[in-house]
Amino acid sequence: MDEPQKQSIEETPTEATTEQEQRPSEERGSTEASRPNVEEYLNNWKRERADFLNYKKEEARRIEEFVKYANEDLVLEMIELVDDLEIVAKEVPDVGLEHVVKRFSDLFKKYGVERIKVDGQFNPALHEAVDTEQGGSKMVEVRAGYIMQDKVIRPARVKIVK
Amino acid sequence: MSKILGIDLGTTNSAMAIVEVGQPRILENKEGMRTTPSVVAVGKNGERYVGVTAKRQAVTNPANTIYSMKRLIGRRFSDAEVQKDKKMLPYELRAGSHDDIEIKMGDKWLKPAEVSAMVLQKLKADAEDRLGEKITDAIITVPAYFDDSQRKATKDAGEIAGLNVKRVINEPTAAALAYGYGKPRRQGVGGPTEASAKKDEKIVVYDFGGGTFDVSVLEIGDDTIEVRGTGGDTHLGGDDIDQRIIEYFIEEYKKEHGVDISKDQLAVQRLKDAAEKAKHELSSTIQTEVSIPFISADASGAKHFSLVFTRAKLEELVKDLVDKSVQLTKKTLDESGFKIGDINEVIMVGGQTRMPLIVEEVKKLFGKDPHKDINPDEVVALGAAVQGGIMQGEIRDVLLLDVTPLSLGIETLGQVFTKMIDKNTTVPVSKSQIFSTAADNQPSVEIHVLQGERAMAHDNKTLGRFILDGIPPAPRGIPQVEVSFDIDANGILNVKAKDKATGKEQSVKIEGSSGLTEDEKKRMMADAEKHATEDAKKKELIETRNLGEALIYTSEKMVKENDAKIKEEDKKELNEKIEALRNTLKSESGEEIKKVTEELSKVAQRIGGELYKQQPAPSGAEGTPPPQEPKAEEQKTEEPKKNS
Repeated sequence: MDEPQKQSIEETPTEATTEQEQRPSEERGSTEASRPNVEEYLNNWKRERADFLNYKKEEARRIEEFVKYANEDLVLEMIELVDDLEIVAKEVPDVGLEHVVKRFSDLFKKYGVERIKVDGQFNPALHEAVDTEQGGSKMVEVRAGYIMQDKVIRPARVKIVK
Repeated sequence: MSKILGIDLGTTNSAMAIVEVGQPRILENKEGMRTTPSVVAVGKNGERYVGVTAKRQAVTNPANTIYSMKRLIGRRFSDAEVQKDKKMLPYELRAGSHDDIEIKMGDKWLKPAEVSAMVLQKLKADAEDRLGEKITDAIITVPAYFDDSQRKATKDAGEIAGLNVKRVINEPTAAALAYGYGKPRRQGVGGPTEASAKKDEKIVVYDFGGGTFDVSVLEIGDDTIEVRGTGGDTHLGGDDIDQRIIEYFIEEYKKEHGVDISKDQLAVQRLKDAAEKAKHELSSTIQTEVSIPFISADASGAKHFSLVFTRAKLEELVKDLVDKSVQLTKKTLDESGFKIGDINEVIMVGGQTRMPLIVEEVKKLFGKDPHKDINPDEVVALGAAVQGGIMQGEIRDVLLLDVTPLSLGIETLGQVFTKMIDKNTTVPVSKSQIFSTAADNQPSVEIHVLQGERAMAHDNKTLGRFILDGIPPAPRGIPQVEVSFDIDANGILNVKAKDKATGKEQSVKIEGSSGLTEDEKKRMMADAEKHATEDAKKKELIETRNLGEALIYTSEKMVKENDAKIKEEDKKELNEKIEALRNTLKSESGEEIKKVTEELSKVAQRIGGELYKQQPAPSGAEGTPPPQEPKAEEQKTEEPKKNS
């Protein structure tokens, strides 16, 4: 078991390093020894280059993902405003707020943001339960949830009722 | 060779990281999140949930939703801590045959290690998905106070999850590794570039998380990090701070509306969201407005919650909790045998350490700024990945690359420092830029090589100078002089200037370009920060003057070359504007210079437009183009050589 109080950072050398360390020291001065060093340097260079190229590819993928979800923070902030608008629209009907809410909904759709449906079975991949009645199986939406592209950016908050 | 996964298996949340191209980075889980709740559940139909899905269904299924396994792993059922925690947990526990703990999940009784393994399994699967390769090895972190039994159980959890646990390391050690302490010393011409601690340095790791507070005192050895003391409170964390805020909101609402909404679960949930959001905002602002419309209703109608919540109020509400953490820190330090003055560095871990009050109190206690640049929610996982990287040789002293500690550049028109290589650029590196002359028929350019972060050349350190002469006569801005900076793997700087027309070049070699002491480097960077605003203003003024001068030049040239074609009254007006600008250039007001430059520009453009109209039908190269606004590259012109 690892000693809890004192932990060494350097680990047992890997195979490659062990081979290198096992090479007798008198070899190192000779011309023959310089060739393995060149091999090693070339391999390390190739590995470094490969790492860099792979990193570039990975970075390109990360940028693509970043662009896909670049607006996520902004959308999450806007969603909170829409939450309040919906509450007001419900409490004070006939003032036309539902039209404003619809415009937000259309705007979200344009940017790949869809409201999560609250029907059928409770699905924790999409819904978050905040209250439950004993024996309840029907969902009532407490706060809307949204999916952006294919990512659940906010689950729908639901109450499970009878 | 597959990557080693670094895992921070937390009480509330877990995180994972790998090392890529020598740098650790967090891996997102399948849901796209950088942390995964350490929660596992089994549904009515036997379906298993792990992570955020388990958390989301917790309210519907509390008896089968297992969390905080870290409080139970490797412990005995009869432990006082376990008996205390048992009272707060909604799921069932029992003693196994050897007084070990068993947890009821669905219709099965499982060991805490088996439940933790489910979280690790999910992390492993998500990591494999992200990386597109199999993960077999892992480093898992544990609190420094974990005993052998708890460490073994954690390792068992990893193995049950299909991981070969190369090592179980302490969380404060991992945090120290993430900040570069204890790594193999880098050998570069410029000396150590990351925060690799010297031997015998003492580091305090202050970890204020969601549910627990841990403080550790570490001592750095040759290639070891020794834990010299641990302390904390397993039931003190950010959740307690959130609770204080919620209670305050409920109290204020009661005062204003006479209604107690503490029993209204949905209202409390909305208050909880608002409390957490307000707490986060108050880390960067002095006050925030909390507004929750229609939070409740009574006979008189709908009620709203609205409150201006200040940082001062938040600090008042939680001061005792923060003070408690400070007292525990002092106690741990005493018990470790060290004094405050012995501590060289302090590292912050855990999301709650973002709170300004906590940073302030820690700074007050130790008399130094704590390290908090690395995301405190992720630093432990990153450190675990670093340990894995060291073991794999990804982070080692075979191929060492240094960085240039301060920016390098040259002096350009107006005594401005123009950077060629930014600070912290990894070397070897080469950068080139094209410059030009500042005066007509300028025969040479002086390359004044500088190092530093200040905007004005004279505030930086001179590394060398040389002159490139033999530039053929040409109007200012026409010659192309390519200036190249090259730092080789030994840290030697070669600066070359080449006239692209003649091919003539001159160069200087500067050895020990980072031959500054650590103190000098720190002083220069601190100076730059201190003078950043005034330096920026000075630079802007000079650039405004340069633009003005360039416009005077092009306007006068336009008049000289088109004397016969320009009406007398236009010439008079243009010359008046030129003179006005020439006089204004002496002013210290950038706004004034811009205004007069704009006036000259309008007149010059109008006259230039009329000259164009006088041209015959387009034929290519005929006619003088209207004077352009000076291009960006024209700003970067050399000072005229002082001695011909």
